[in-house]
Amino acid sequence: MSTTTLERMPAAEPGAEAGPSYLTSEHTVTSWLFTRDHKRIALLFFASITFFFFIGGFAATLIRLNLATPEGLLQPAVYNRMFTMHGVIMVWFFLIPSIPTTFGNFFVPLMIGARDLAFPRLNLGSWYVFNLSGLVVLYSLVMGGADTGWTFYTPLSTSYANGYVFAAAMAVFINGFSSIMTSLNFIVTIHCMRAPGMTWMRLPLFVWGIYAVSVVMLTATPVLAMDTFLLAVERLMGIGLFDPNHGGDPLLWQHMFWFYSHPAVYIMILPAMGVVSEIIPCYARRPIFGYAGMTMALMAIAILSFFVWAHHMFVAGISVYAGVVFSLMTFFVAVPSAIKVFNWTVSLHKGRISFDAPMLYALSFVLLFTLGGVTGLMLATLGIDVDVHGTYFVVAHFHYIMVGATVSAFFGALHYWWPKLTGRLYPEIWARFAAILTYVGFNLTFFPQFILGYLGMPRRSYTYPAEWEPWNLLSSAGASILAVAYLLPLFYLGWSLFWGRKASANPWRATGLEWATSSPPPKHNFERTPTVTLAPYCYDPQRDTYVTQEGVPHAG
Amino acid sequence: MPASATLRPEIQFATLEQQGDAAQLGMWVFLVNETLFFGALIFTYFIYRISYPHEFAVAAKDAVLWCGSVNLAILLTSSLTMVLAINAGAQGERRAMKRWLLVTVALGCAFLLIKGFEYYQDFQDRVVPVVNFATKPGEGNAGELFWVFYWVATGLHAIHLTIGIGLVLYMLWRIRRGEITPAYYAPLEVVGIYWSFVDTVWLFLYPCIYLVGRS
Amino acid sequence: MTIGPEIHPRRARPLPFVIAWLVMLALAAISLITAFLGLGHWAPVVQFGIAALQTSVLFILFMRLKGPPSLKWVFAISGFLWLSFLYGLSMTDYSNRRGWPPLYTTSGPGFEAHQNGP
Repeated sequence: MSTTTLERMPAAEPGAEAGPSYLTSEHTVTSWLFTRDHKRIALLFFASITFFFFIGGFAATLIRLNLATPEGLLQPAVYNRMFTMHGVIMVWFFLIPSIPTTFGNFFVPLMIGARDLAFPRLNLGSWYVFNLSGLVVLYSLVMGGADTGWTFYTPLSTSYANGYVFAAAMAVFINGFSSIMTSLNFIVTIHCMRAPGMTWMRLPLFVWGIYAVSVVMLTATPVLAMDTFLLAVERLMGIGLFDPNHGGDPLLWQHMFWFYSHPAVYIMILPAMGVVSEIIPCYARRPIFGYAGMTMALMAIAILSFFVWAHHMFVAGISVYAGVVFSLMTFFVAVPSAIKVFNWTVSLHKGRISFDAPMLYALSFVLLFTLGGVTGLMLATLGIDVDVHGTYFVVAHFHYIMVGATVSAFFGALHYWWPKLTGRLYPEIWARFAAILTYVGFNLTFFPQFILGYLGMPRRSYTYPAEWEPWNLLSSAGASILAVAYLLPLFYLGWSLFWGRKASANPWRATGLEWATSSPPPKHNFERTPTVTLAPYCYDPQRDTYVTQEGVPHAG
Repeated sequence: MPASATLRPEIQFATLEQQGDAAQLGMWVFLVNETLFFGALIFTYFIYRISYPHEFAVAAKDAVLWCGSVNLAILLTSSLTMVLAINAGAQGERRAMKRWLLVTVALGCAFLLIKGFEYYQDFQDRVVPVVNFATKPGEGNAGELFWVFYWVATGLHAIHLTIGIGLVLYMLWRIRRGEITPAYYAPLEVVGIYWSFVDTVWLFLYPCIYLVGRS
Repeated sequence: MTIGPEIHPRRARPLPFVIAWLVMLALAAISLITAFLGLGHWAPVVQFGIAALQTSVLFILFMRLKGPPSLKWVFAISGFLWLSFLYGLSMTDYSNRRGWPPLYTTSGPGFEAHQNGP
């Protein structure tokens, strides 16, 4: 693996591209704002989601500062708005778009050997719709925010809540269209535009992950769109379909909300799983174990995720029979996820492993996802859920998956593909340090929350009994470490843009088609359409050789 | 028709056929989204109708049956004229294609006119929640749920129909520029698919709204 | 590579479409009539069944579902399949929840409307 040292840095790696790339081919602002190039659109999305990540992170900072002591920092009403906006922004404005709109947009065409997505203007339109929804949510935030929780349950949200619920709900409604546009694009592209020889069973697992997530986005988001639309109507008009005074059922709102929002959490994890399936074979220098099983597991997760939504409603008032059915379904959906964890683990066996930053993030993913997944099974158990629903146990569980797993995979992808995106190599030592600090900070922040939840600390509460202060303080301390770990990449990645070593086409010696073109790629991706002859991940750990998907062998 | 000689696929496509296939597939993928959007709305109707059958039967008596039925016939006919337009376009009969498209637009506008009249009638009948609503005897409080559904569903449908009319007018403009030819008329087919889907939504809204409690 | 009418061949005779249109109008009339026949709980079953039939005609014939590419079928069916998940699994709750449907729905105040926003 290539590494850089700060003292002696050759100007460029052998083979580093000198011609115009997608970054340098045009320089004007309009060439960026009206681009149809999927790579530029990926960077535009990257800017938007990073912005919202820091806004959501700022809300999280205030939350953890408040919870460090029982006396707290914020007024209760303000605290309520903080956790609401933290949830809304992190879910819809960071996690859901994160990997698909950045790495998905950039790499799906490259990985399948296409020149762009099927509908480039739709892609750009998706970014503008996303930003429109972002403006609406910022309006809601600036005007004081909503305080209903990111789950907007009725009748609190429709009748009783003081706050900018309508704006927040409309922001989510508009944001949904961005998701739908992006997923439509990916589905048609992957079906119609694969290069010659790129059969479905030769697709990299990242592409399978994006395909699976697109199916989920496409089918789940419209139900949320209708649900938020009806919520907005009811809030605006004072009467709606969920008003108990007219025989309406608040649980009906929840059914439709969770019909989207449970698959939504799989929207957040499926692309991350795809990323990890790219990184592990590359840094273990061996093929992934059970490729076919991995593809089927991705699709099984995508479809089974639609059968489990009411496990969020076990204590909301649904029938006991429904509780039993959904609990059983939830146990089923864990199976393909577990298969993937087994396969990633076996993919390390007899490999030639190197612990570069992307690999550290990928291994973090596997460990943290496992813990999050197992605690999910605990929550799926009706008897346990009655006790821990609405406590910090749930909060810890979903942060293990969404932050521990997904955000780690996001950073892993960022480091793995950084040379391809920017044409530069990052300083490896700093990157490894950040990865390890992330893992430590994350566990310090969220593991105590499992304990707090088991002890009975309710979530969404601005204060707590004094006897829980040590755990809360520990969690907040961990959060400060995590914050540093997340900020560090800003600095060394930013540094690498100007002073980093220039990268060759394939610095990690990986097998995918995206590495067959220069770093960064030219505007239309490939000089000639590649022809694929092999499955992905043809690494040989014994001889330390590899063969690209086009069938070109490389010695160690 | 010089345009057909210079028609090329967009840079990301190898052939026009691939581009046309992708366009069709894209519209069908979009229809999955629309099916679930309206399907979720009808889901709320479904839950409440099976829970409050009597209240819904009483409330729905005020639905203007002739408006809904005539509109159904209009939309079914417009699907026919849309298909006839596409067939004409595929054969190169530009005049017939434009004629049928204009008839489709006219039928769409007729739907909206009748809908507008129906809304006026609904106002007179006092079935507009919040704005002008009177609970009829026997419908209880749950009857108003029927009418909330009615206004949301028909309103959203009318918006989709208006968008459809806009798309057909856009197609007429592209025809004028020579961009729709027998060699490549995928955009017209795609608009036709959307149009017929708007028709499909009405096919399901019709029994939801107009055929409840009539006996 | 040729560009020509062999792309998306469309059988352009109008007659099948006119017949299909007449069939759909007839089905609509039947649906309307069933509303007055006193079929009770079966009325909506028949009416939505007719709607499904008309939809099939529209999809397969008018929206050219039977033409290439054949992948369209998957997407045409998916929307309805996913709706079956929503409707079906929700019924595990609504079909046997105690207290549903509520015996009484009250009308009347008792809450204050929200104060700022929307």
